[in-house]
Amino acid sequence: MTAPADALSPVRAELLRAARASADAVRDRAQTDAEETLRSARATAEAVLERARELGRADGAAEAARERVRAVQDAWAAELAARAEVYAALRAAVHAGVRREFTADASIGPRCAETARRLLGPRARVTTASEGGVTAEVPGRRVDLSADALADRALDRLGVQAERLWEPA
Amino acid sequence: MTGAVGIEYTRVRDLRGPLLFVEGVSGVGWDEFATIVLDSGERRHGLVLEVDRDIAVVQVLEDTAGMSRTGTRVAFSGTPLRIPVGAGWLGRVCNGRGEPADGGPPVLGGSYAEVGGAPINPVRREPPNEAVLTGVAAVDVLTTLVRGQKLPLFSAAGLPHLELAVQIAAQATCGGDPFAVVFAGMGLTHADTAFVRHGLAARSAARELVLFLNTADDPVIERLLTPRLALTVAEHLAFGEGRHVLVVMTDMTAYAEALREVSAARGEIPARRAYPGYLYSDLASLYERCGRIRGRPGSVTILPVLTMPAGDITHPVPDLTGYITEGQIVLSGEVQAGGTYPPVDPLASLSRLMRKGTGAGRTRADHPAVAAQLIAALARSRQVRELADLIGRSALSPTDLRHLDLEDAFRHRFLAQRADEDRSLDDSLGRAWEVLLTLPRSQLGMLPADLLDAHALPQDQEAR
Repeated sequence: MTAPADALSPVRAELLRAARASADAVRDRAQTDAEETLRSARATAEAVLERARELGRADGAAEAARERVRAVQDAWAAELAARAEVYAALRAAVHAGVRREFTADASIGPRCAETARRLLGPRARVTTASEGGVTAEVPGRRVDLSADALADRALDRLGVQAERLWEPA
Repeated sequence: MTGAVGIEYTRVRDLRGPLLFVEGVSGVGWDEFATIVLDSGERRHGLVLEVDRDIAVVQVLEDTAGMSRTGTRVAFSGTPLRIPVGAGWLGRVCNGRGEPADGGPPVLGGSYAEVGGAPINPVRREPPNEAVLTGVAAVDVLTTLVRGQKLPLFSAAGLPHLELAVQIAAQATCGGDPFAVVFAGMGLTHADTAFVRHGLAARSAARELVLFLNTADDPVIERLLTPRLALTVAEHLAFGEGRHVLVVMTDMTAYAEALREVSAARGEIPARRAYPGYLYSDLASLYERCGRIRGRPGSVTILPVLTMPAGDITHPVPDLTGYITEGQIVLSGEVQAGGTYPPVDPLASLSRLMRKGTGAGRTRADHPAVAAQLIAALARSRQVRELADLIGRSALSPTDLRHLDLEDAFRHRFLAQRADEDRSLDDSLGRAWEVLLTLPRSQLGMLPADLLDAHALPQDQEAR
């Protein structure tokens, strides 16, 4: 008569084998999961890093572009200010030049008075302007032939030629 | 603004609002430009509105505030207002009268042109063709702006029309051809002015931009001059120097209100909503200055921006503008409420000349068909949405549901873009295809089979 324990030994052995196999499978799965998690984490980290690099590059490029525009703008503003200064200097020089002409050539004043009378009639009241030249008036009408007014008109007529002041030679 | 030796008239009979009545004048013509010198030496400018015997009525651009009847002198130039024209304007920022606001010298030019403009001989007009690309997908793909066209932007208070106008002005190109933008801001607040200057700084620094800025607190009469100065400068850059020029004029409603104010001061009989009866012809005198001229390389394209008071498209300004212009881009409060920029309503927008400026050799061979199909699909989507509101989403057919998906895809993938995003036409058309392919092939009957074969994804073939 065999012991009942012996009869259960194949069952025990099978249970043990199945338990080991299941444990192996769980361990393998855990191993695979761990590897997968690690791989996925590495991939995510890589993607995040790449995205950060891209964003950084884009931010850098945008900031550089902004900086470039700002620099070009500042340069253009400085150039415009310099042009305005040169133009004001030209205006002052033209005014001074016309005044000088009036002082140097005594015949210009009477010629201006004559022109004023031609425009307004012989009854025009002609007044000598302090800077040279004349202004003339009849009731309701007036003519300004003073040195400064003539200089301004001359400068206006100069038009685009004044741009030669700041054009490259 | 030339100055010959001229007689100054000193007998000012009356000052009324922006009007100055001067008597004792002779040889003065209608629309002549006048320079007014105050007792203090201050200079102002004006235009002759009317001459009756020896009395001239002068409209003072800077208003008559602070002027007195005695000590004021008025000199007439003998011609209508003329301004110097030429490339010297590029890169400059000026006020609404064309005077420098950027610290530079006066703008000088090789020649002078009358700001009233000379009408283009209709026989010499060349029909518009070829596109102006704006980098805004909704405009480039669905309402393409064509060189020489006038295409208004209809908006309402609170919508980002200024942002869109600035974005278009900053990004627009003509495929490598010489290009310039003339931006005329009218009735802008100081915050808007700063926004415009900042948004267009790069273009201005590149000397591709002329900026005229008339602010809300500037005299209204100056506002009437601003678009005319802009167009005069643009015409010379286009037809004298061979550039393609885009003129952005914003806000035309502020312009029309200035016209109404001046008209009331002149005692004219008011017409619809108190605007003068000549509002149509006045707007036409601006809008009709766009175009191309046979034998000359440049073009003038006009993009007027106007706000519809209370969103009313039948208001005289959008109504009359719509008669003259060739289509419209409409901004929608509903799209804006959905958080999408630019809030363009694709079904209310239309570019009548689009067919002439798109397709093979101009933009891309598939462009006209894609645009037509997208509009048709969006129209169906809108119907489906209305149906879903009535019968519920669960009662819709699978095809109907795909149309709802298309509308979502359109807003998120195609329409939405950043205010600083310059989208290429290829990118925009690629997105349009992506949106269209949310529908089964059977619903894309306006697209030729070869185009569908070239663009459709493999799984879409099954849906046939």
